[in-house]
Formats: sequence, C-alpha cells, structure tokens
Amino acid sequence: MLSPALRAPWLRARRRTLVLAAAVLTGVLLAVVLVAGWAGGGNSGVTDVGGNASAIIYAAGHRPLAPEFTGTTLTGSKLSFSSYRGQVVVLNFWGSWCDPCREEAPTLAVVAQQYQSAVTFLGVDERDTTASAEAFTRNFGITYPSLNDPSQEIALDFTAVVPLEGTPTTLVIDRTGHIAGAVFGTATYPELTAILAKVTTKAGAR
Amino acid sequence: MTDVRAPETDPFDPAAERDDQPRPGPASPGGGTFGLADWLKWVWRQLTSMRIALVLLFLLALGSVPGSMLPQQGTNPAGVQQYYASHPALAPWLSHLGLFNVFGAPWFAAIYLLLFASLVGCVVPRTFRLAGSARTLPPRAPRHLARLPRSAEYATALPPGDAVEVAAGVLAGHGFRLRRPADPADAGHWVSAEKGYLREVGNLLFHLALLGVLVSVALGGLFGYKADRLLIQGDTFADTASALDEFYPGRFVTAADLGPFTITLNKFDASYISSGSQRGQPSAFDAQISYTEQPGGPTRTGQLEVNRPLSVDGAKVYLIGHGYAPEFRVTDARGQVVYNAATPFISGTTGNFLSEGVVKVPDAQPEQLGFTGVFVPTAVDVGGTLESVFPAADNPVVSLIAYAGNLGVNTGVSQSVYQLDTGGMKRLTTNPQLLLPGQSLKLPGGQGTITFTGYVPWASLTITHDPGQLPALICGIAALGGLLLSFMIRRRRVFVRARSGEHGTTVQVGGLARTDASGGFEDEFATLAAELRSAHEQAAPEKPAAHRQQEGE
Repeated sequence: MLSPALRAPWLRARRRTLVLAAAVLTGVLLAVVLVAGWAGGGNSGVTDVGGNASAIIYAAGHRPLAPEFTGTTLTGSKLSFSSYRGQVVVLNFWGSWCDPCREEAPTLAVVAQQYQSAVTFLGVDERDTTASAEAFTRNFGITYPSLNDPSQEIALDFTAVVPLEGTPTTLVIDRTGHIAGAVFGTATYPELTAILAKVTTKAGAR
Repeated sequence: MTDVRAPETDPFDPAAERDDQPRPGPASPGGGTFGLADWLKWVWRQLTSMRIALVLLFLLALGSVPGSMLPQQGTNPAGVQQYYASHPALAPWLSHLGLFNVFGAPWFAAIYLLLFASLVGCVVPRTFRLAGSARTLPPRAPRHLARLPRSAEYATALPPGDAVEVAAGVLAGHGFRLRRPADPADAGHWVSAEKGYLREVGNLLFHLALLGVLVSVALGGLFGYKADRLLIQGDTFADTASALDEFYPGRFVTAADLGPFTITLNKFDASYISSGSQRGQPSAFDAQISYTEQPGGPTRTGQLEVNRPLSVDGAKVYLIGHGYAPEFRVTDARGQVVYNAATPFISGTTGNFLSEGVVKVPDAQPEQLGFTGVFVPTAVDVGGTLESVFPAADNPVVSLIAYAGNLGVNTGVSQSVYQLDTGGMKRLTTNPQLLLPGQSLKLPGGQGTITFTGYVPWASLTITHDPGQLPALICGIAALGGLLLSFMIRRRRVFVRARSGEHGTTVQVGGLARTDASGGFEDEFATLAAELRSAHEQAAPEKPAAHRQQEGE
C-alpha cells in the first residue's frame, strides 16, 4: 500500500475531476431530458393552419401517401378506398358518441354540400353501433357514406402515416391519393376550406 | 447511502471514504472569500451527501402519499369531479398545489430530479474510487509481524531470499496477490500477499448496478407507455391512440410508436366461490382473446388471466378489471331505433358488482334522452331497496331513471361517458323503474321506449411497454449479487518475512483479516502457516534444522 502521504494528493486531484465529471454528466442528462421533453420536434414541409397546431397542411412533395383500405358502409355496401383515386377526398373519422364530432357535423354537412362537385366526402364511423350512427347521420343531414369501423382497424391503417390522436380527425386527400392536410379535433369551416383550397386549385391538384 | 462497508474507517483502503464526514460549509475555515464557485461546490457536495439523498427519498415517499389518498386526474377523473362537488372550497386549493396530479406536478418532478442528481453525483465518483481500490497492491510487510492478530514463527535452513521465494510460490498458489520489495538488499526479505479483492469487485458491481437501475427507470419513463382500454365481450380494438380510453406516453413516445396489433375479447368468464365464508370472492377470471400482431397478419388465440399478461409486439397486455355491460335498445318518439348497444356499467369496490352507468341517446327525436341506471347482478329486495347478494349474474335486474332534454353533448366539450349532466334535462320517471332482461319501459308522453335486452361482460385491459423493465431486473439482481459478494468475502492479508540470524533463517508469518466479515480466518491462517512451514522444510537442504527460537527486534 502506498503511504497516505504519497497517495492523497493524487487522489484529491483525481476526486475533484471525478466530482466535476459527475456534475457535468448529471447536468447534461437533465438538460437533454428537459430540452427533448419540452421543445418538441419540427416537421419540415408542414404548416399549421392559422397558427393552430390542430390543423396542418403538407406542402406539395411532402404529402404522405394514404394507405389502402376497404370496408362496409353503414348501409351494408362494400367500399374500397382505391375506387376514389383521381378525386379529392375528405376523410372524416367520427363517432356518434364523440362530443366534438357532434360539434363539427353541421360544418361538414355544409362543406360537403358546397364542394359537392369538386370533393368527395367519406366518413369512417369509429367504435360505434349502426343504430346510433344512422340516427346521427339522419339528424345532422349527412348524406355521404360512412364506413363501419367498430374496432378502429381503418384508423390503425393510418397509424404509420398520420397517427390519429383521437376522434374526430379529418384528412384531405388529393387526387393522387396523398394526404394534403389534416384537422385533429373539431374541424372548423376556415380550417377545412383552407386545406381544400390547396388541392382544388390547379396548382395544388398535382 | 451506497456504502456497504463497515462504519469504521477502513484500515485497508485509503480510497474508502466516510460518507458522513463533516463537509466544509460556507463558514468553513480557510479564510478568504467564499465565491460563487465555492457556493456551487458546497451545494453540489450537500446535494450528493447521503443525508440529503435520504431526505429526498423520504420526501419522494411523502409526496406520493396524496397521490394515493386523493383521486388523481389521470387515473380517476370522475373521482376528482366528485371531490370538487363534495369539497367545493378545498378542491381548487388542492388543485393549485397539483395534488390531483401529483406525479405530474412540478414539485414532484423537482424531488425526483434532485434525487436522481444526488444519486448519480454520489455513485459515479464512488464507482471510480472503488475501481481504483480493487486494483491496489497489498501494502508493504510491517516490520513486526508478531504484533499482527495472527502470527507464526519458525526457523528454516533456507537462506532468507529462497525462503521468501518458496513462501511466495505457496501464497501465489492460493490465489493471493503478491508484493515484493523493490530492492531486497535495502528493505529486507519479505512478501506481502492479499486476497479477497472480489469484495471490491462486488462493491463495484453493486454501485454500477445501482446506476443501471437509475438509467433503466429513466429509459422506461422516456420510451415506455401505458394505456387502458375497456373491451366489451365480442368487441375488437386496434391499438391506436384514438381507440384507447387512456394513453400515457413517455416523453419520447408518440401515437405512431404504438404496436399495430388488434385484440378481440371472444369470451370472458369470472367464477366465484358460492359458499362458505369466502362466498362471493372471485375464484378465477379467464379472458379468451384472439389477436393479430399487425394488420393482415395471422390471427392467434390466447388467454388473459390476472397477473398473466399477453406479450404482443413488445407490449404487455394485462387483464385488470371486469364488469357488466347491460344491453339496451331505445326507440324514440318517431319509432326509430336510435340506440342499440351494450353499455359498460362500473361497479364500486363493494356491493357484489352492483354497477352504475349512463345511457345517452343524443340523436333521439324530438328530444335527447338520457338514463341513469343501476345493474344488479343477483338482485334481492332488502326492505324496499335492491341489493346484489352475489357477483355472478344469477338474477340480473336493471333500475333506470329516464331524462329528456339537452344532454349538453353538442357543444364539443367532451363529457364523461359515465356521467349524465341532467342540468338541461327533465326527469321523466319519478321512481327508478326496474327491468328484467327482455322487459321494456315506455317513456311517459310518448317519448319512446327503452328495452333491457340482455347483458354481456366486459374486461378492462392495461397495455404497457417498459423498455427499462428487463434492464432494471438484471441490474437489480446484479446489485444484490454485488452486495452479497461484498458482505461475504473478506479482505485478508498474509505477510512473510525471513531474516538470517545466528542459527539460520527465521521465518515470520503474520496475517490479519477484516473484522466485519464472517470468521474463519484463524483456521485459514493456521492451515496456510502449516503449509508454508512444510514447504520450507521440504525445500530445505539435508542438514540438521536449526531449533526454533524467538527473535525480537
């Protein structure tokens, strides 16, 4: 054993370095956690509608491809999303049980009416029963079809592309089957028409 | 807090330091000005001291108490609302203090971040010190070996240099770490030997594992998630954020990180003990499920039992609760079926699954309809009120109160599906109306009809993904192993000195062991000394051995 006299100065110097290293390491760890936790990541090619993060527009060239899906409508007919290729589609995920869906339903009915020559509307009825869903569409004058998706498997198909944080979510899909914009939560008239303006003009139609 | 050594200062180890040494404070001598850097150093020393770590640990425990005493926003939002209703003056204050969301409160985060910093700041430097101490050589042999706790002395015919050589060979054969003088001419003939470095390795392992546990816990918090979903028998759900009733993602988890599996609850059975003092206690739960790991993948079947989760796609699915979902069909004033669904009712902790629930029919015409209901699985009339005497549905009865008016659901503000806001509604039935399966209640004023068509069980599932779980387990086991090593293995030293005297060479053997470990060193030393002696005798040339003699200095 080295005598304490020989050992101590080295040890003291070393310990200071170690303590400093530990302090720096802890600081860096905390900083990483805090910064990463609160800053959030930016997403290029995406703009918020009216500074509101609940609605986004993808720039042309940054639009994710919508997945293929099929289903049965509330009235019992088979429907495949691929048959909508070449049309601008508003895809609305909703449920009769969902309170914000009831709030946005009149807006959707109006926009569907206004854009009926340019845009096709399609609903996806989530976690619902046919009786309640049909009562809902009757009440709000929704005339476009909705796919029955009680287990939310259609929503699952979109997870890899645009994860649906909840119901309602409204996606606007351009003529090539790419997602041009999305509204998370209650869709408002300005939000919907702002996104539709990007895909119904010649420039945005691709 | 991380020292597994004996409390007394370790004579073996200059690297070991007492944790509770008085630390120099701001008023410490040494003169001069106490600048910002000194203050920071002082704060850091305080933070990483065992005392503060213990205080923080205690605060953490204390801080979690309101989390279990008061209803929490995340797990029991209905309970919070109830608390607001029953303590209107107190509740806002508690809310300001974050007591309804303890584990997300800034003060709670402050405690655990400080504790984390304290532990890291304490464990990291200590780890390096221990690593240094595990590499040290044995000390030089003391001059007077007879003064050591164990000693032996004998004479040999070998010259001192050879005697030490032979002793070194024996000790090395026993796995001792050796130290020899750099220059025997100057320092005499001796060899120092030390064994039990595994103790230091154990201590080191314990500290490293402790750091590993911390990192694992952080990993789980950052990259893990927890979600809840209530699933009615016969229903399927896909693991997406929108299909989950509750979703608590870690800091770095988004809805896109959820595994793309689907689960169907094919059948749920609960059996109960039907007689004896345990009557009504559950004897078994069994959820038959089928699942696919990804869209379009093969369908597998499985079974969920309490504490036997299903592993799917990196997540674990636990069965955590169950209940009854009575089925209702509602026809409105215009004769249209506006509701036909199984509606989950929630039971209290007592009362044999006497469950409460709400049926909302927002699209009934001309007015919205709402019902508050009680589902009684085995109903018995006790003095005019219904009670459930057994948790199984042996005599199911539903009791309903009907309302008509404005449910308040069209304004976009999400309501709880388990609560009815009757503020905008009028009560249609003065008394609760009892229905047996198949029976209907005609609402007054031709508002419609509600039929209790049957009931199905539901199961609630918790889906967790904790990437830190396995590392935490491994580190926990390693920490325990390290602790055991450092407790059970003792450092022991043996010194051999050989001096030439008038009657040949005298060999002195001395030994000492740590006192805080289990005994047995006496025997070990005696065996070793005997072995050394016989080795010396064997190695000695054929010549009458010098008689033993005492030699002192």
